Amino acid sequence: MHSFLAGFGLELRIIRAAPDAFIPLVTAPVFALIFLSIVRQSGRPDLQADALMAPVLMTLWWIALQHAGNLITGDRWQALLEPLIATPASLASVLLGRISALMGFGLISFFEVWAIGELVYGVSIPFEHPGALALTFLVTAFATAGTSVAFAAVFVMSRNAYTFTNSLGYPLYLLGGVLVPVAILPGWIQPVSSGIFMSWAADLLRASLKPPPIDDLWQRLGTVALLGAVSFVLGRLILSHVMQRMRAKGELAAT
Amino acid sequence: MSALATTANIMRHAFRAGLADYREMFTWKSWAAGWMVRVIAQVSFFALLGERIGNDRTTYYLLIGNAILVAALTGIFSLNMTTAERWVGTLPLLVASPSSPIIVFSAKGSYLAVDGALSALAALFIAGPIFGMDLPWPAVLAVVPLTALVALASYCFGTFLAGIVFRFRNINSLVVLTTQVTLMAACGINVPFSYYPEALEWFSRVLPVTNGLLAIRGVFDGADAATILGDAALEAAVAVGWMTLALSSFNQLASRGRRDGSLDYGA
Repeated sequence: MHSFLAGFGLELRIIRAAPDAFIPLVTAPVFALIFLSIVRQSGRPDLQADALMAPVLMTLWWIALQHAGNLITGDRWQALLEPLIATPASLASVLLGRISALMGFGLISFFEVWAIGELVYGVSIPFEHPGALALTFLVTAFATAGTSVAFAAVFVMSRNAYTFTNSLGYPLYLLGGVLVPVAILPGWIQPVSSGIFMSWAADLLRASLKPPPIDDLWQRLGTVALLGAVSFVLGRLILSHVMQRMRAKGELAAT
Repeated sequence: MSALATTANIMRHAFRAGLADYREMFTWKSWAAGWMVRVIAQVSFFALLGERIGNDRTTYYLLIGNAILVAALTGIFSLNMTTAERWVGTLPLLVASPSSPIIVFSAKGSYLAVDGALSALAALFIAGPIFGMDLPWPAVLAVVPLTALVALASYCFGTFLAGIVFRFRNINSLVVLTTQVTLMAACGINVPFSYYPEALEWFSRVLPVTNGLLAIRGVFDGADAATILGDAALEAAVAVGWMTLALSSFNQLASRGRRDGSLDYGA
């Protein structure tokens, strides 16, 4: 727990010192305005709530890819990975603490899009099922953190992680159904989307903003958590394999 | 060697260096399977919103706007050049050399305009048919030079901004992303100008993309040649305007960095 909290505190300090960390909080309200203007101009006010939720999910994805996913690679570049591994603290706990701080930071975008919707268009978030909404965000942040560990493990093996992070954003927004439900995607893509926790989370978020009762709430929340946990376990396995290989090959010398 | 020949020689070498950088970033395989997949996913993301809205006209509007936007987004990446030079430690050497930094930067990053235009056209001609959009032949050929013009104007704008953020490397990525979403929101990419206040239209008319995109929409809507050429001329004027500003400000801003010692190595 100490390592987790130390990681959490460290990341908050890094965020405070790095203007780049605020990118998703600058872009989220603009995306909310873009999506709102599209659906309003097209005469579909029923899609306004979805237009407000999409930027929040995009923010979480962005942070998972661009920040959390690059934590280990960044530490390695700055020669911080070696001392971190040399400490008795568990690398995974520190990493999870840092990623949790990032996820908490990303959830600020929810309040941003809420405010910008109200200020510019007078559109509020319809809190039809507030409990389900809060739980969905919580589980989504957990699953995104788990997936981030997998990203971090995969990216550290890559020669050029930039290519991955720069290329994966929109395909994941699309497959994760952050704005458009997976049901609208071509049939052959839908099975792929079902394996991505974000598609379940996005559907659940949209359902929690609509008046009808939510079908299978606990089962769907469980699916989001399970997919996130699977990503986390896979990420940890890859990570320990990578660390083992680095130790064996003497690749951990600061460069 | 005359001054002109020297400048041309510097630009040629700078362009080749830029291409070499790009080859380090992307291979043909990673460009096609990574970058192009992302670009087509981005355009499809917005086109699918049109499908969800249930209106073909909206779908095609979003598809054309967001495909052409790719040309601008790539051009704006020229903002990253100075930071990249700083990372590899060549920025102080470039500023200290007898040649003008703007000549080197404008030539070195010009592959971005080429890449942007190619990516945007590929997105349009791949995603268009996927969503059942009609590509009026042979009029659609006019979209090729117009997209190149949008990419060039955006590149000029990015180069101007690169001069502005020259000494503020820690906000470079923030400026890149903020500029990109501003273009996405303000240049008639997703909704027509009639939806916005009139003041916003005036603002967006001096930004890259806006006028070129209007010309491209004109091609798809069968507008008369004079209207299309008028919008294209405005886009060209915007490109010239931003490059003129870049030329007049870049070296001055670089010199300021030389004076106050902020052109250090590393990031």
